[in-house]
Amino acid sequence: MATRDPVLAMKKSKAKANSAAEKEFVFEFRAGKHNCVLKVPLQFPVQLNISDLHGRLMLLHKIPCYIESDLKTSLSNFIEKETSLDYDRGAELALQRLTMGDIDVNQLTSAWSRSYVETTLEHALPEEPSRAEDFADVYHELIHSPASDTLLNLEHNYFVSISELISERDMEIKKLQERQTTEMDKVMHELGNTLSDQDVNAVASQHFDAQQILENKWTSELQQVTEIQKQEYQEWVIKLHQDLQKPSNSSIINEEIKVQSRQLTEAADSGTRMFEEQPQLEESFTIHLGAQLKTMHNLRLVRADVLDFCKHRRHGSSGAKLRRLQTALLLYSSSLCGLVLLVDNRVNSYSGIKRDFATVAKECTDFHFPCLEEQLEEVQQVLLLARVQRSSKQKDQPENRKNGGDDKSKTVERNPSNIVPGEFYISRHSNLSEVHVVFHLCVDDNVRSGSITARDPAIMGLRNILKVCCTHDITTITVPLLLVHDMSEEMTIPWCLKRAELVFKCVKGFMMEMASWDGGISRTVQFLVPKSISEEMFYQLSNMLPQIFRVSSTLTLTSRH
Amino acid sequence: MKPLKDAQLGAFTFFASALPHDVCGSNGLPLTPNSIKILGRFQILKTISHPRLCQYVDISRGKHERLIVVSEHYASSLSGFKQGHIISPEKLLQIAYGVLEGLEFMNKNGLVHRALSAHNVLMDYKGNVKLAKFGLYHMTDHGADVDFPIGYPSYLSPEVIAQGSFHPSDPSHDEAPLPSGPKTDVWSLGVLLFELCAGRRLWQKFDISEKLKFILTLGCMDDIVTVLAEEHGCLETIKDLPNNVLELLRKCLTFLPSKRPTPAELLGDPLFNGISFQRTPFQQPVSLFSSSLRCAHLELPDDISDLCKDDDEDYLSERGIDEVYHLWCLAGGDLEKELTNKGIIQSKPPICTLPNFVLEDGESFGQGRDRSFLLDDTTVTLSLCQLRNRLKDVAGEAYYPLLEDEQSSLPQSNSSNELSATVTLPLIIRERDTEYQLIRIILFDRLLKSYPYKKNLVWKEARVDIPPLVRGLTWAALLGIEGDIQAKYESIDKDTPIPTDRQIEVDIPRCHQYDELLSSPQGHIKFRRVLKAWVVSHPDLVYWQALAYACMSAFIPKYLYNFFLKDNSHVIQEYLTVFSQVIAFHDPELSNHLNEIGFIPDLYAIPWFLTMFTHVFPLHKIFHLWDTLLLGNSSFPFCIGVAILQQLRDRLLANGFNECILLFSDLPEIDIERCVRESINLFRWTPKSATYRQHAQPTKVPGDNGFGKTATYFSSDYQGMPKTDLSREPLALCDLKAEVSPRISAEDLIDLCELSLAGPSKRNKAGKPKIVAVDIRSVEDFGRGHISGSINIPFNTVFSPDGELVQCPATGALQNYRGRVIVVISHVMKSATMFAAHLVKVSFQRVCVLDGGINKLKPTGLLTVPSPQI
Repeated sequence: MATRDPVLAMKKSKAKANSAAEKEFVFEFRAGKHNCVLKVPLQFPVQLNISDLHGRLMLLHKIPCYIESDLKTSLSNFIEKETSLDYDRGAELALQRLTMGDIDVNQLTSAWSRSYVETTLEHALPEEPSRAEDFADVYHELIHSPASDTLLNLEHNYFVSISELISERDMEIKKLQERQTTEMDKVMHELGNTLSDQDVNAVASQHFDAQQILENKWTSELQQVTEIQKQEYQEWVIKLHQDLQKPSNSSIINEEIKVQSRQLTEAADSGTRMFEEQPQLEESFTIHLGAQLKTMHNLRLVRADVLDFCKHRRHGSSGAKLRRLQTALLLYSSSLCGLVLLVDNRVNSYSGIKRDFATVAKECTDFHFPCLEEQLEEVQQVLLLARVQRSSKQKDQPENRKNGGDDKSKTVERNPSNIVPGEFYISRHSNLSEVHVVFHLCVDDNVRSGSITARDPAIMGLRNILKVCCTHDITTITVPLLLVHDMSEEMTIPWCLKRAELVFKCVKGFMMEMASWDGGISRTVQFLVPKSISEEMFYQLSNMLPQIFRVSSTLTLTSRH
Repeated sequence: MKPLKDAQLGAFTFFASALPHDVCGSNGLPLTPNSIKILGRFQILKTISHPRLCQYVDISRGKHERLIVVSEHYASSLSGFKQGHIISPEKLLQIAYGVLEGLEFMNKNGLVHRALSAHNVLMDYKGNVKLAKFGLYHMTDHGADVDFPIGYPSYLSPEVIAQGSFHPSDPSHDEAPLPSGPKTDVWSLGVLLFELCAGRRLWQKFDISEKLKFILTLGCMDDIVTVLAEEHGCLETIKDLPNNVLELLRKCLTFLPSKRPTPAELLGDPLFNGISFQRTPFQQPVSLFSSSLRCAHLELPDDISDLCKDDDEDYLSERGIDEVYHLWCLAGGDLEKELTNKGIIQSKPPICTLPNFVLEDGESFGQGRDRSFLLDDTTVTLSLCQLRNRLKDVAGEAYYPLLEDEQSSLPQSNSSNELSATVTLPLIIRERDTEYQLIRIILFDRLLKSYPYKKNLVWKEARVDIPPLVRGLTWAALLGIEGDIQAKYESIDKDTPIPTDRQIEVDIPRCHQYDELLSSPQGHIKFRRVLKAWVVSHPDLVYWQALAYACMSAFIPKYLYNFFLKDNSHVIQEYLTVFSQVIAFHDPELSNHLNEIGFIPDLYAIPWFLTMFTHVFPLHKIFHLWDTLLLGNSSFPFCIGVAILQQLRDRLLANGFNECILLFSDLPEIDIERCVRESINLFRWTPKSATYRQHAQPTKVPGDNGFGKTATYFSSDYQGMPKTDLSREPLALCDLKAEVSPRISAEDLIDLCELSLAGPSKRNKAGKPKIVAVDIRSVEDFGRGHISGSINIPFNTVFSPDGELVQCPATGALQNYRGRVIVVISHVMKSATMFAAHLVKVSFQRVCVLDGGINKLKPTGLLTVPSPQI
């Protein structure tokens, strides 16, 4: 009687081809007068649990129980022996390849050494001290100490001086423009009489030059002041920290800080330029995500201008200082605030919302990070690098990304320094009122049409943004709900509702996905709608939200009979 | 798990490698994060116990794929013996023998160390060898799930080096090297022993690639030991070594793996003759469920008092390592904080590590490599001071409670007054209370050790609560599992393909995937095996798989008998009808409303009962629910269902059909503790026979349970009772569906009204629901004989033809009995059910009907005739 295990024979075809080998386990036993042979083809390396295999063999081939333990020992011995032989064979093959010269010894050892150097602290190259990180530590410590008030006031003072400069600049430019207008009027009046077209042109170009010169002058002055402020500030912070380290005079310094801060607040109160508070419409929801284990998140629907989250308000206006403190406290923490800004395909700050944003970003010195221009320059460099890497990779595996890759690469070929919809660059700021990180998400005119789907690059970009939020602890993110910053004619009520539904649903999906990445940390997502939509529309949208997200039930406290 | 003794708890951390962007698995689902894979593979390591290995205790997942592993730890290691100090040959052989014992045990369990080095060979205070980090190679899937290479450059064996390092960021090597075999550890041991002999580290001045090159060139040498000695200038020392040590070194440092012995072969080598006879071979402790005698190897010393000699007042260290760790966590231990304090976890502020630019497919650029992600595998000792401080007031007796006397309540010591106060606190707080958990764990540990002898006591204590740490075993005990389940489990064919495979394959990724364990591939594999085993061996039943299997197979027949039959519709229908009757019984108002809007249980409750609520709740809630569920009988799920409905009562009452469907499609949070409490309460009010089901599990053969359960009123199953002619009779499904209120059996009525002929009932009345029997026959019939204590309310006197309640003295009387269980008795079942339906309509609670009517009672002779004219 010879039996062959049918199951394993069947599995043979499924097994992977590489390095797997089949061996036959032969077991002989006597059952009464019969000599029986059990043959089992086994796949090596053995993935099965030996006890399971043994149990199944016993059952399937109806093997008498008196040889149960014999079969078990001989089976496990067989597998042990063969596995050991396999190990030896594999190992010696590798050694042989080395002696035969199939593998280069130097390459091999350098690969090993690289992987040790790059991944283990013991062998890693010592780290060069980074000024930015040291400053980060110092600042984080100070802002969480009594000195925080002083820091904020100092920052605010700097802000005031910059905004004074800016208003001075605006004034001067305005004056110049007025003067030029009157001059131009005069010239136009004389046109045809004493002056020719050429003269008018000359005056116009003269005016333009004058404007340019004035603007340049102001720009360089602002830049200079900013530089000085930044340096002063950083030095002061370091010094303050050093002073506080000495235990003896920390109390004195605390006193000093208090006195100083009072003066500063008084000085601050006398500021001139005020932002008027505009009534914002907003509604908050607490939601639950997940089928069984629920995670709680906060959602907020806000009708506001996107730059409202960036602009500073003067001290004195309600809550502005608290908001400032909040932003400063969180700067180096692990709960950051982000904002999605929709931009076109060029990395600069010359036009549209990019220009407006740059203006706001310049209103206050960034004491921690490079200014926006520098950051954008860096992005441009990284972008070029990324394009090079990507194209070399695509050459390596041309068959890999055939679909859709073609038209994309065409756009890239046109101008490699432009970005395509769905890509985004990130800038970091310490000088904006409620935001630390700005995601500049590239969109095209497609988002104005009514027919975008969940597969649209803009939506995929949102997903990637949420993913970065996940990996870099950005717990509050503001997203333009309609994927536009300004309303226009073609954006009708049905268009708005359709778009809002799409974005709500996609964001819900992404948030659920995020919960699996990071274990469901509670987040806040703010949906931003443009200021120009009607109040009625806003409430329509806010009614839609609880239908898509599950709003957590209110706790009802009722006395039971 | 083995006791802590003089060991410490140690923790080390590493990162799993990040997954590539946006790659999906072959089944279209997102890939499982590597950290979860590692976590799943780690679980088997917890079960590997050997005196030469450091016991693994726990693994936890942090942010950004960080993993922290907790294990037994000792402060001194072989790296402490370094430089100049030379170990005596005897000591050396002993160390080698210890290491080999550990390695051999690992190999038997299919593990390879691979990271053997001087600082991973720890020494306990007696100088015994303890191997640390032995599971790293296994849990990382031979290094595939982490970025760093496993092992240390100086100790790598030539074949490992030759196979190359696999570096994920390097596209030129896309195939992983073959896994290493047991013999690589022997080479590492050789290097280690050589270092101990020479009293210096090898290749200390070399950089990594030089080291590795040197090792590879050793293949051309005849005598590796001599070459090494010459290279390091310690030829004299090596030459002076005794022959057996030299022999050992030569054997370990054999270049070709085929000529190198395995750990098992080396252990049997004659050169260890002097040592091996002193050592007693290690015996695997016998587990709770096995066929062999647990006390077979128990040897009592001649003088019993010897046992009490080494009494050093440190009772905590006599507890298992896992218990100590569990308590350490409860006492405020925080792994990440400990590691951060020691500087092992360093993190940069996230704003400094943001990328500059992200492509459409999610690949990011401009982000420098973060140094804090590099591997630092230093093990940090977890200080037990805080825990000991917390427990310093716990008396020594508390560690050894006496269980002999079943009558006495909780083993009490003086300090346990506050403990009894703790019992009244909410469960969540109790589960976080260190002292309370200590006492409970010790108690359960002892009870379970004496299982099944102390089964009754387990039941009793489980009713108070079940400590999370011992939940698995306790459930097994509650379900009455016995025998060698491991062997039984093994003997079931789990590999042969069967038709249900596909369904299982699809279902598993949908089961509680937020739980790390259940979402890991190992978890999937084990879960699949358990399910298949169930499917294959249906007509009849770990660690965690064997046990889970045994539990499942005991559980399913109890609660879900026949639910998984092919044509299960009528079984479910019956179940649901009974459920709706139970709703009507307990909450008529709600039931009226639900019936009105047509929101029948079929629409929402099927998944509840099919999965015993696991489908609707997260695991931590299920645990609590099941703790209670296992204690009740098979009708308990009904009560839970009603309790859930009652929590949603207000909203259900306020809403129409559509809103209700929406509400249940995405069930809101349920306060599980309240739910459990209420369902117990409801259960008390429900007469046993009210939930009678035709298709329930038939009565067990008496004597099936050797140690019979405590047949208390609440735990025994109605179906488990012997059938008499007073029991309920099966009813056609359509009839059942037509009835609003549940029927109860005459037996129950007799029991509840204490009408027994045989003198006073043996059970006291305290735990029973208050009952009133309502006889709706005509006055004349009532006069001819009725149950004592029943009131007579003829049908037509109370209800007008259109179902309104008529104002009359009888209804007044009925109103007075609101809140009690009302049993409607009649001649004809039809009128009784109608009467009950009317009562429910006007929101009477707890209405039920006597099955079979008054005729059932006639033969019992319990009917009394009122003495005329009084």
